[in-house]
Amino acid sequence: MTQQLANKKINLKITTPRGVKFVEEADMIIMRCIDGDLGVLPGHAPVSTVLGDGTLRIYNGGIEKKLALFGGIAEIEDTRVNILTTIAQRPEEIDLERAELDRRQVEAKMLEESKESQADERLQVLLRRTLVRIEVSTHTENSEYSSDNYGE
Amino acid sequence: MSSMRDIKQRIANVSSTEQIIKAMDMIASTKLHKAKAQLEGVRPIYHEVKRIVEEIGSHHEFETHTFYEERQVKNSLYIILTSDRGFSGGYNANIIAKAMEHMKGKNEKILIVGSKGKEYFKKRNKNIIRKIVDIADAEVYYGSENIAKWAANLYRSGEVDEVFIAYTQFENVLSYTPYVDKLLPVVTNVTELDKSNRKYEQGIDRFIEHLIPLYLHMNLFRAFSESHTSEQAARMVSMDAAGKNASEMIEELTRMYNRRRQAAITQELSEIVGSANILNKGGTS
Repeated sequence: MTQQLANKKINLKITTPRGVKFVEEADMIIMRCIDGDLGVLPGHAPVSTVLGDGTLRIYNGGIEKKLALFGGIAEIEDTRVNILTTIAQRPEEIDLERAELDRRQVEAKMLEESKESQADERLQVLLRRTLVRIEVSTHTENSEYSSDNYGE
Repeated sequence: MSSMRDIKQRIANVSSTEQIIKAMDMIASTKLHKAKAQLEGVRPIYHEVKRIVEEIGSHHEFETHTFYEERQVKNSLYIILTSDRGFSGGYNANIIAKAMEHMKGKNEKILIVGSKGKEYFKKRNKNIIRKIVDIADAEVYYGSENIAKWAANLYRSGEVDEVFIAYTQFENVLSYTPYVDKLLPVVTNVTELDKSNRKYEQGIDRFIEHLIPLYLHMNLFRAFSESHTSEQAARMVSMDAAGKNASEMIEELTRMYNRRRQAAITQELSEIVGSANILNKGGTS
């Protein structure tokens, strides 16, 4: 990484149907696309991608933040990342108890249905979403991420 | 000539109506407030998604994609947003007139939202293929997602060759304009080509497959929000006017009542004075 790039930050903007939800600077972000994770550093080539259900990880100044994103579109260009999604949740907006409850219900339902036929696709989406919610909401923001695989 | 009791009755009637009007005014203004917040939330994402959709359309190689290609038009789907309730001034009449004018010479299929529009188009024997009435405010978001999917399927299966949406755009409390927008095929007004050489991670086809449903969803949700906000604003304004008329009427009736009362008192007084005079004269002579 050249010195010039190292000083650059990504300007992240997340827009949802409830308005511009999240505007922040970041050193690196990792997003879940429909076919796997995509990491973005400043100075990225212009790319657009389709997001899947998953966590968005934002690294900034040694702090890792997590957001739950369900679907949407990301537009990446140089130092600008523009995410348009229908649902974006911060950890504090997630009701952990409810997510755990949902998870148990969905899992029970899946067990029941798998006896008859293949589990419903809808249920799988639901399960995936509750798992993402649980992961995001149990994440503590101030925990330092391991620095050995990322710049000093 | 109405008697004093009649006037009193009328005052009571008008003032109870006035109270209802005031209540409706208050409900409309609270709803307007909420609707405005929702509308302001959805506008940014709508404009962003629309920009991306149009940018893709500016590339020549994508003009052949199903959602972008212009076909020979046999059937046109119209999604028309009207209200379920009246008392909203010219709100419904305006949007219906606009839609009717646009439909001239087209082979229309209509998805009508709101009972006011349903009645109107039913009377005129228009081809209504789906109707949605009495939709709760909370269901609008997922409802518009469903409609988006439904419309996209109709379009893909070739049952309709273009999709229009008729809605009322909210500008401010006093002005709202009816519009008919083309949803599909996507209209691209971009004349200047996008030179950024943007890549599409999962391939352009897959990107469009995911982008267009989001675009339709946001477009419909925004149109619903625009219409809903306009409806509440229109209702608030017309209730305001009705409330003013009612107070004016009460004032006038009260004045009439007082004049009548004064006249009755004067008459009684002059009768008493007159008869007293006669009695007095009789006493002294």
